[in-house]
Order: sequence, then C-alpha cells, then structure tokens
Amino acid sequence: MNLNVLICDDSSFARKQMARALPPEWNVEVHFAGDGVEGVSAIREGKGDVVFLDLTMPNLDGYGVLETIRRDDLPAMVIVVSGDIQPDAQERVKALGAMAFIKKPIDAGKARDVLTEYGILTGV
Amino acid sequence: MTQGQIEITDIHWLMDILQNIDVGLVVLDRDYRIHLWNGFMESHSGISPQKAKDQILFSLFDEIPEAWFRQKAEPVFQLRTRTFTIWEQRPFLFRFYNSRPITGQSELMFQNTTIIPLESLDRTVNHICLIVYDVTDTAISRGEVSKANESLSAVTSKDSLTGLLNRDSWLPTLDHAIAEHRNHQQSSALLVVDLDHFRDVNRVLGHVRSDEILKRIATALSTLAQENCTARIGGELFALLLKNTESEQAIATAERLRRGIAGLTKSAGTDISASVGVAMSHDALTDAQDWLNCADKALYHAKESGKNKTTLYQYKTQE
Amino acid sequence: MTSVPAILTEDQRDCYQEITNVAMGQAADSLARLLGAYVVLPIPRVSIIECSELNMALHEAGSDDSVSAVCQGFIGAGIAGEALLLFNDTSFASLASLMKYAGPLNHQAELELLMDTASVLIGACVQGLGDQLEIHFNQSHPVVLGQHCQTDDILRSGNQAWQRTLAIEIHYTIEHMNIDCELLLLFTEESVKTLNKKIDFLLD
Repeated sequence: MNLNVLICDDSSFARKQMARALPPEWNVEVHFAGDGVEGVSAIREGKGDVVFLDLTMPNLDGYGVLETIRRDDLPAMVIVVSGDIQPDAQERVKALGAMAFIKKPIDAGKARDVLTEYGILTGV
Repeated sequence: MTQGQIEITDIHWLMDILQNIDVGLVVLDRDYRIHLWNGFMESHSGISPQKAKDQILFSLFDEIPEAWFRQKAEPVFQLRTRTFTIWEQRPFLFRFYNSRPITGQSELMFQNTTIIPLESLDRTVNHICLIVYDVTDTAISRGEVSKANESLSAVTSKDSLTGLLNRDSWLPTLDHAIAEHRNHQQSSALLVVDLDHFRDVNRVLGHVRSDEILKRIATALSTLAQENCTARIGGELFALLLKNTESEQAIATAERLRRGIAGLTKSAGTDISASVGVAMSHDALTDAQDWLNCADKALYHAKESGKNKTTLYQYKTQE
Repeated sequence: MTSVPAILTEDQRDCYQEITNVAMGQAADSLARLLGAYVVLPIPRVSIIECSELNMALHEAGSDDSVSAVCQGFIGAGIAGEALLLFNDTSFASLASLMKYAGPLNHQAELELLMDTASVLIGACVQGLGDQLEIHFNQSHPVVLGQHCQTDDILRSGNQAWQRTLAIEIHYTIEHMNIDCELLLLFTEESVKTLNKKIDFLLD
C-alpha cells in the first residue's frame, strides 16, 4: 500500500509548488487540504502519513493543527513548510512535535534532503 | 552582462565611470576600513584614494558618530539588507563644504546615503558600499518652502512692517464686537488714528526713519488694546478696538495716544501729530464697514477742525 | 494609460498572496533579528483598489490615533511602486526599548526609529518579492510623510492621478508588545500588466 502524503496550505499556488517539489520517483498518494480544519479531518481519514503543513492559514493555522495532532495522538509525520522563517517559529513548531522545518519558497532539493534524512524516502 | 562577458576594456570603462560619477562611493569592510574611495569623495574631502585606503572610516572623519553609523551599517552585514539615511536625520555624514561659490546655497553639503551589501564569490557579505548623494538643493528648497509658507501666512494676515493685523484679517474682530453689543449690551469703542501731514514727515525724515515712526506707533497701540484688536489699515492709518469700554474712557485713551504720538516730535526733529476718530458700538450699526465709516467721519471732522485732535462720532438720535 | 483589470483572477490573487507571504516572512525575520522579538505574521491582503479607497485603507491601519509614515519607491524591470510604512505613534516607546535606544524619546529619536525599522522592513519585503519574481528592485531614498499626524494628512502631499491599481497590505504586530504597523505596497497602474504576466508565468 502506498504512503499517503497530505499537502495542507491555504494557497493553491503553494500546494501546486509543493506537489511539484516532491521527488518524482516517490510512489505516494498525494492529497490536498485548503486550511487547518480540512487538514485535520484528512489526517483522521488516514490521508496524512506524511504532512507538509503551512503555518499561516485561515480557520485553523498550522500551530493549531500540530496541537490537535499531539492532543489526539494522530498518526502523522509533520514537515512544516512556511514563509515564517523566524528562529522562534521554527523552535515553536519543533516543540509542538513537527519533525522538520522547510522554508518557503519550497525547493525540490531541500524537500528530498529532509525526506532522506528522516528515512521516509527509502526503498525507492 | 554576465561576469564571463566582461572584457578588460569594460572594466576600464566601469572604473572611469565610478571615478567620474557625481555621487560618493566608499567600500568598507567589517572593520570599517576603506577599500574604495572614488573621485567624488576625493574631490570633496581632499583625501586621495591612496591616503584613504585601509584607513578606518571613523579615524579619518571624526564628524561621523561611530555608534550611530554602526547601527545603520550592521544590519547590512547581518541581514544583507540595504539601509538608508536621509538628511532630515543628520544633515550630513561627511563635513563637506559648499563647492559652488555662485550657485551654492548652503555652507555645508546636505547628504542622503545608502548602504548596500556587497557579496563575495562565496555569497557571504564581508563588505558594504556606502553611497553618498549631494541633496543640498533639495534640502534648501524644502527649507525655503517651509520658511516661505511661514512668511506667507504671516503676510496674508499681518502687516509686514509693523506686525499688526492687516485690514482684512482685523475686520472680523469688529463684527464680533457688534454682535457682543447687540446680544450682551457690551459697549466697545473703535479708534482710527491717522498721522497728520505724513507726506511732509516722509520727505523730511526719509523712508527709513518714517518707517521707524510707524513702528513706534504700532508698538504704542499694541500696549493699549487686547491682542488681535489693533491693525494697520492703510499707509499711515491705524485702528484699534477697545472692548468693554464706555465713551469717556475711549476718549481718554484716544487723547493719551494722541499726546504720545505728538511727543515723538522731539526725537524725530520734525512735527509729528495724529488725529483720532472715535465711534462707539451702537444698535444702528449694520456691519464692520458701517462702523469704520462712522469712525472715519469723526476722523475727518478732527482733521477739518485743525488736526492733532480727537473727535467722537455722534449717532443721530432716532426720535 | 493602460487599463488595470477590475479584478484579479482567483489564481492570480492567490499567487500574489503566497509570494507576499514568503516575502513578508523574510522581512519579519529581519525585523525579529533586529529587535530580538517575535513578529506575528498575518495573512496579507491583496486587492485591486480604487484611488478613493486608499484613504480608507490607511484609516483602517491607523485608526484614529496619530501616526507617523515613511514612503519609499522601488523600481525594476518595468515594475514600479511605493511602499508606505505607517506606524501607530504609541509604538515608539516599545520600539525604543527593543532597539535599546538610550536618551530621550524626542522627535529626532522617533525619526531614527522610524527610519531604521522602515529600512529593514521595506527593504526585506521588496527584495523578497523581487527574488521570487526574478526582478532586481532598486529603491529610492525614503521620504518621511509625516510624524504625529492624522492619516488624512499623510496623503495630502501626493498627486494621486491613478484610477485603480494593485495594493498589498500587511499588518505587522510584535508579540507581547504594543507595536503596530501597516506596510502598504502600491504598484503603479502601468506596472500591473507586467506584474500579472510574471504571475501567470509562475502559475504555469
């Protein structure tokens, strides 16, 4: 069974950019969510084994999603992808359980590095 | 133009341009040592590039406040962002003197500066470029505009010689006093003061000394009435409004003023005198101009009956 | 005069918002480093506004308090505009303490704070946008539009001859601090067409 990847961002442009930055040979099922609320329900449906999560979003922001995942112990490996590159923001998301932080604009090489580093991109 | 395409001749051209461009260019390293010093900087400072090279900026120019400048320059190194200073913050960074004896308008050169990061080949920023613009003309013209605006507003409401209000800006005070009379029965007096045979005074004393006389009279008027109640409404014609004043008091004041003006004769060395027309506020008055006409009639009477006199306007009794 | 489309397509608006998001994040990072504090990032507002709405936009930013404002032009590759930074005057005390400004907080000190913050915030944001659009923007010298004035007075000096154009509004606040500023990027009417082409290229 394929790995489920969820791209959660309020910008369709950013979602598209993120999807393009995924390693082409990575055999995964890609899902999309337009805000934090949609993101959480997608994760509950099992569509988010790996989540690429934006921080600034309407309804429920990335911090809220991380808190929900931790509180409800949802099975998701979260990589935050954000334009908020302040050191403080990176520390906060790590503290909330995010696995890694990638700054926007997303870069394909960087995405690959992170996925490799955490052993997600194995067996390809 | 990519780096590979730059020919040796192009570099010579660029160097020539840097040398001749009419802005200052200074390249500094992290210790604020000078690495590049272009023609503009040499011309205005008198310090040659050879002498400036490797010198610390602050030791060469003690007019630059080090802490202040560092505060502007450090973000350029650290954040790779450009920073700007404008003459409104500090008129100048370098004390460069005016180099234009004919068209120059300021003793010192006003400067805006930009500090930009210079990347090395490995993309680190170890040098910054300080760009110095001469903005003297802008600063001066801006300064003059505000000065001009200031004097403009004064000119439109005040008489430029005496500083008293001019006729137009003073008239509303009269309207206000008429309303006060109507609504609160508060009595006010209008005095118009005209210097006698002023043309002769002018001829004898000359314009400068005559103007001095006018200024002294203006000062005397100011001491008698409240603020914004005195005006110069013509060449040698003054007016003042005495609020909350009855006729006897008004005549007494007018007489004091008349005598005071006549007293200038001694110091002037020629006959100085004035005639005064007084008109009290009255129910029959329609507006400021109407009141002024009444005071003028009294003044005319004073002149006709021999000058150096005070006359009170008599309202016709309506019975 | 080239006409500006009355509306942006949803894709275009979304793309502007996203690249602004990235650029303002870079600007916030610079400001955070300068101040040593966390800058709260909002969702930027991208819209086509009428000239008559400009005053309104500023009013929302400045409310009824007195404000200070700096304006700085930028230009590159046929795209030009101005960045206007509007500071609520109540922000200066906190700003001074974060920047470790010693001495009295007078008119001159506030001018320094205004200029230092504007340099970093406008510079980083404009460069951030330029990087993503592959445009090198040059910046003119900042102009102080006013200190301690009402928002109505800010725009009085300009000759706003345009009809409608692209505006990007970013409201920055500093966490736990009474610091409140609005960054408004306004492009010239003539630039919008070129800018939209760049955006469409990114969207392809």
